[in-house]
Amino acid sequence: MTQSALKTTTEVTPTARLVVPVGRLDFEASSSFQQAIENTIKEAGGAPVIVDCAQLDYVSSAGLRVFLVGARAAKLDNVPFCVCGLVDAVRRVFVVSGFDKLIAEHPDRAAALAAIK
Amino acid sequence: MDDPRAAETDLSTLMGELTSAWDAAGLPVDARFPFELALEEIFVNAITHGATAGETRHFDLRFSYARPRATLVLRDDAPPFDPLSLPAPDLAAGLDERGMGGLGIHLVRELMDEVSYRRVDGRNELTLSKHLD
Repeated sequence: MTQSALKTTTEVTPTARLVVPVGRLDFEASSSFQQAIENTIKEAGGAPVIVDCAQLDYVSSAGLRVFLVGARAAKLDNVPFCVCGLVDAVRRVFVVSGFDKLIAEHPDRAAALAAIK
Repeated sequence: MDDPRAAETDLSTLMGELTSAWDAAGLPVDARFPFELALEEIFVNAITHGATAGETRHFDLRFSYARPRATLVLRDDAPPFDPLSLPAPDLAAGLDERGMGGLGIHLVRELMDEVSYRRVDGRNELTLSKHLD
């Protein structure tokens, strides 16, 4: 049994909820990551949800799917949803997939928090 | 190794094989991403298409580097399936309309320079290559 290569933590700030994936978001890690995203959106009570990807090294189409599911769930709950801090390789995947047009993106956490004020 | 067949169908093991071959070729880590992505996408396709419960799929990889071209050859014994035949995803679709079908192979095509498929010896074989400069 291999250990998941992704660790996900959540943080609460006065203005937002943050989901912080660290490591590799591959198909084996995608279901636990999806759970973290969906729980955070549910518990946000309308507060914005930011996925801080600064320590996310890898994402595949299975991982992208979670971002899509999360963005849809957030929209249904009227929760603002965005990503920030994409490293080059991950950003490339977002752009090539057209996800940069579906999901709001900010350069880093500070910019994301400033944008939702 | 206790059960080579189980190991062959484990993505972490395959990633380890790719990483070892990559490092042995002296290639930079930051250029490996497209190959890792291709391996995952093709592997997931192979184990999800036409597999029945309890069935073991054989999946193997070969990696080679002849400057400046790196080549990854992936073979599986799933029923004949050419992932390159999948229609391209609708990248212009909005959030609610957007489907995920074909996105993995779209990524592979975009991140690699050349991708080709053939059915050989009862196996699906994908050859993926990219110039590393």
